[in-house]
Parts: sequence; structure tokens; C-alpha cells
Amino acid sequence: MAEVKTQEFRRASAKVLANAKLQSYLGRSMGTFDGARAEAIEEISRQRWDELRQEAREIKRHTLDNLDYYLGLLRERVTANGGHVHFARDAEEARAIVGQISKSRGLKLAIKSKSMVSEEMGLNPFLEKMGVEPVETDLGEYIIQLAEETPFHIIAPAMHKSKEEVSELFEEKINRPNLEDIEAMAGAAREVLREKLVSADMGITGANFLVAETGTVTLITNEGNGRFCTSVPRVLVSITGMEKVVPSMEDLAIFLRLLPRAATGQRISSYVTHVYGPKRPEDEDGPEEYHLIIVDNGRSRLLADPDLREALFCIRCGACLNTCPVYRKVGGHSYGWVYPGPIGAVVSPVLVGLDRSKDLPNASSLCGACKDVCPIKINIPHMLLKLRSNLSEGSELNASKASIGDRVQAGVYRRLMSSPRLLGLTRRLGLLAQWPFSRGRFIRKMPLPPFSRWTRTRDMPALAPKSFRQIWSERLEDEGR
Amino acid sequence: MTEILGTPPEQFITSVREALGRKAGPPERPYARMLEERASVAERERAMQERLSANRRGNVDELARVAALRGWVVHRAAGVEDAVGYVCRLTEQLEARRVVRSVQEVFKDVPMDDALSSLGATVQVMARGEESSGIFDPADADLGVTGVDYAIAETGTAVILPRRGVSRVTSLLPPVHVALVKPSQTLEGLDDLYLLRRLAYLRDGADAGSYMNFITGPSRTADIEQTLVIGAHGPRETHMVILDWGL
Repeated sequence: MAEVKTQEFRRASAKVLANAKLQSYLGRSMGTFDGARAEAIEEISRQRWDELRQEAREIKRHTLDNLDYYLGLLRERVTANGGHVHFARDAEEARAIVGQISKSRGLKLAIKSKSMVSEEMGLNPFLEKMGVEPVETDLGEYIIQLAEETPFHIIAPAMHKSKEEVSELFEEKINRPNLEDIEAMAGAAREVLREKLVSADMGITGANFLVAETGTVTLITNEGNGRFCTSVPRVLVSITGMEKVVPSMEDLAIFLRLLPRAATGQRISSYVTHVYGPKRPEDEDGPEEYHLIIVDNGRSRLLADPDLREALFCIRCGACLNTCPVYRKVGGHSYGWVYPGPIGAVVSPVLVGLDRSKDLPNASSLCGACKDVCPIKINIPHMLLKLRSNLSEGSELNASKASIGDRVQAGVYRRLMSSPRLLGLTRRLGLLAQWPFSRGRFIRKMPLPPFSRWTRTRDMPALAPKSFRQIWSERLEDEGR
Repeated sequence: MTEILGTPPEQFITSVREALGRKAGPPERPYARMLEERASVAERERAMQERLSANRRGNVDELARVAALRGWVVHRAAGVEDAVGYVCRLTEQLEARRVVRSVQEVFKDVPMDDALSSLGATVQVMARGEESSGIFDPADADLGVTGVDYAIAETGTAVILPRRGVSRVTSLLPPVHVALVKPSQTLEGLDDLYLLRRLAYLRDGADAGSYMNFITGPSRTADIEQTLVIGAHGPRETHMVILDWGL
């Protein structure tokens, strides 16, 4: 599995927050995505958009509630189309399958079209060890591969790199010096990659959708690399999470209206590619062999929990990242694993273990912006709360409960909030206690933990001289009631 | 012979079923579209065809409008000469020396090989068994010309089903692609296309084809600083020539 750094969330995000250049850039570019999406939605009307979202949601719910059936149907149809279907319980098994395919056929050069699951698997280093050269062919993924980094964003993996950084990278890694404008950089990548694209013997892709009834794998791309990967190499392997199934081809019409609009604000992407197994004997070209690898890697834990199942509705558009006030500040790498942002804060803890991702469900203000923009209306805030509750109460996902300190705090809070008399008394004590520290409406510095931890990075609102209850009863008296 | 690697399928699917806590078998609450019989899908297709033929002109107009918004250079040709003339002018403008094309019915309606050759361009047919094949490497082509199987007005999309005579890469390798669209190939929306393709599969199974491509304008990327660059791995220029006669 790809290296897990979810436990380093605090440290990693502090570093990003201190990077002024990245901060100004992040705000700007996230706004661009957000604006493009809003415009594309306006065009078809908010009402139509919401109808499509609801329809998509119902399709996803139905398919996932019956996923075993649809996986069986998908396997039957892909096989009937002449393809091979393999199932992998985890990342290691998925890697081993790719390894067996490439080894037994003596494959040497693999061109890859964007696949998040292959990131989960840590596939590239594995292929290199096997003696297969993996080449990412999506421009953003290619930059990330050259920089030996992981994707910063689901659909814009290299968005954190300035053109100056890309220019340096291209000079150092592919011997293309002095590139100044972005068009020239894209041109250089095109040239270097074209040679690989026409000579590779293995194509590796992800999948946006798997159509069960017709055994079809659908890829949505803009650059055209996905078309090369599915056309040129003699062996084609698609690797995908098991949640990507939809029942029928006609369902695609709905998702195709949602995904590009939510992702980039496009009405449709340049290319939508549908693969039905290997080339037929009469075809001019196409892969001789087709393999579909369907990966679980922790997804059945999401499936088994009725509260978390809808995390699997995600179509990986990235809209929740673009809109999230936390992602917009801490960026993608802080989340420490393949899936960042609000949806990542739900998915990563369940896939890699809640014990080592305790900060992720808490990295949210629960403002609900992610739910509002989600094309499938996934209730991310609800799932974050569920994970927080799992963290404090203990669950199958994590052995340990919250610390004694946290639990005592929560217990005191519960007691106070359920007794108006006790709350009033505490308030009066608090007014006395805060007197030495408060300046106006805020407390800027408190001496003792846990309070000092809070005031280290933000001000604490001081208790108001009068409580709401006091003001309320005074008003009622004034009005003579 | 089907090869099976990894976890045995039955075992994997059973573990998914256990996670769901459901019994084996098809969904208990049916999903209307999924359980639909072929006859009923075919019935919907007939209704769709009637709707389309009642509004052919409107759909072609919409296709032309939306395709232009999506980055196609759209030309509505009034006749064969106009269409061939357009491709010839483009060839001259591009100073294209090497042209690749597919083998499709549309080239019988709009024969252009001789006109292009007289401009000094070499035309290569990208299909097995064609005499003209093998003159130059298709990867070096300056221009690719193909027909389409469908065009979708809603999205401004050309749909190509690669098969015998139609390579997957004629519309991909060259920096410029010309798609020839007949008005009768125009569909109103994505739903129409997917209904047709679903029906084709229900009828012919694996023989319905191995691949389907939607092309909507030029290849593009915005992966560096979110700055749009036209022409990534695919064509930087795409022309849609609508053969706008015979309606």
C-alpha cells in the first residue's frame, strides 16, 4: 500500500499554513474551480442540477446496496466480451496480479492513464522493481512522477507546482531546459511522452464507471492519453475500486452530465472512452488482451457500515476539496494519503485505519459546504461526526477509545448542558475566573492547558457579562409580559 | 481460456455480500431500468427514432451551435464539392503532406482522395488490406479524416465506434482531425446514444463492438497552474464538417 502519513496531519498542515506563496496561490486556484463549477450548473439550471443529483444518488444507492449482484453481472459480461476479471482483496494482492500479468507476458513499458487506485497500491515503485517502466501520461501525474511526489488534488495532481518549479523539473529530469511558458512545457511533455505512448506494450488505466450490463469500462479524460493507453499497447489492464459499478449504460448519461461540471466546470470532457474488452479479430487495432482488476482494499468496511456506505457514492470530482475551507488552507498533501479533502477525511481513516488517522475526521468545521457541492449529495459532515463518535466511543475501526482527559471533558460538558442551574452557576464562576485574562470581548492568552493550547493559535471569546437567558427574561419584563 | 488471478471471484463476491448482510440473488427492490426486457428497450428506441426524425433540422442546428462552443471548428457544407473543398483548403492552409483517413461509407458520398492527391498530399487509408497502406507511418500524419457513427447535439460530441476499417487512432495521432457528420447521424442527447448502444448490446452481445469514443473538441490540459493549453496528447485542432444536404 502507498505510504501512510495520515498521523502527521498536524505537522504537515502547519508547514503548508506557513508557506505564504502556496497560501496565496491555493486560495486563488480553488476559487477558479469553484467559479467554473457554479457557472456550468447555472447553465442547466439549479433545479435540473438537483434532479440529476438525486437520480445519481438513487442509482448509486441501489447499486451499492446490491453490489455483490452487480459485481457478478459485470464479471459475467466482461468475460463474455473476451476480457479477464480479477478480484483483489487488498493493495498487495492487486499489485501481485499486475505483477503476474506483466511478468508472464514479458511486458517492459507501461503507459498509465490516471488511476487513484494505483496510487493506493503504490503501483509505480512495484513495477519498477519488476523491471517494468511505468510512465504516467496525464500531464499532472507526469509532473508528480518526475518530482517523486504524490497527487495534491484528485483531478489536478500537480496544482501546487508553479510553472517555475515545473520548468526546473523538466530541465533536471527530462533535459528540456529554459522552458518559460506553460504551452512550451506542455509541448515538451507531449513530445517526450508521445514516444512512450506509441511504443508501450502495456496500458494501465483506472475507471470512472463500470457498466455491469454491457461489461463496459468508461474513462473520462481531456488530454487524449487515455485513448492511447486503451488503443496502442497489446495488453490493457484497468484497475478500479469495486464501488465504480453502475447497472446500465443508460445510467451513464446522468453521471456524464454531473462529473465534468462538478470537476472542472466543463459541459463534457474532451474524451469519453468506452472499453468493451479486447479488440475483436476484425478490428484494426486495440489491445489483444484485456484485464479488469477489481479492488476492495478496505471498501467492504465502508460498505458494512450503513452510516458510512455512502462514502462509496463518490465519483472523484474533487468539488468538495475545492470548496472546503480546510483543504483550501492545508492543501492535499497534509491529509497524508491518496484521498485528501472532506471525502478523504472519511475514506482514508476507514481504508488505512482510524487509529492512525485520528486528526482527519476532526479536520473540518462541519460547515456543510462539501455536502452542498457534492454531485451525489453525499452527507460528508454526517460521516465525519460518525467517525468522531467512533473515535471517542471505540468501534470495530479502532481499538482504542478517546483519552481519559477527553472523556472527562465530554462528561463534564454533558452534565453542564443538561442542567440550567448548574450551567448558570458555572457561568458566574467563569466570569470571576476570566477577569484577569479577558481584554474586551476576547481572551487572548490563557495560562493552563487545555485552555492555553486553544489560545496559542486563536482568541477565545470571553463570557459575556449577561447570558442570553438573562437578556431574554429582561426583555420579556420590559415588554410587560 | 479465462485467466483468474487474485481472490477467487465467488469468494470475493461472497465477502461483499456478507459485508452488506444480504441474501444472494438479484436486487429485492427492483431497479426499473435494469429489469427492462429487450422488447421494451426496443419500443423506446422506436419512439426515440420518431422523435428524432420529427426534429432532424432542429437537432442539426443545435449540434452546430454546441459543437462550436465546445471547440470544434464547424462547417456546414451545402454539397459534396463544398465539403471536399473545405478539406482541401484546410490541407493547403496546414501545408499538410500526409493525410490519413478511415474506411467508412461517408467517403463514398464525399470522395476526396483524388482532390487531396492533386494538391500534392499523400492519402493513406488506415485499414488492413488497403493498397495504399504503408506509404508512411500514420504517426507522422499531418491530418486525419474520419466519419462518425453518431453526433450528439446536447454535448457537441462526435461518437466513433472503431472496427474494421476504422482505426482507433486515425482521430488521435494527427495534430488535426476532421470529422464528417451526416445529418441522419445526429442525436438529440446522451440518453439517445446510450439507449441505442444498450439495445445494440442486448441484441448482439460482444459483437456490438469493442470500443466507443466520444470526441468533443480538441485535446486539452490545464494541469500547470490551471492554465488551459489546447493540444495535449490528441489533436490541437478539430473540424466538424456537417454534410448539410439531403434532409
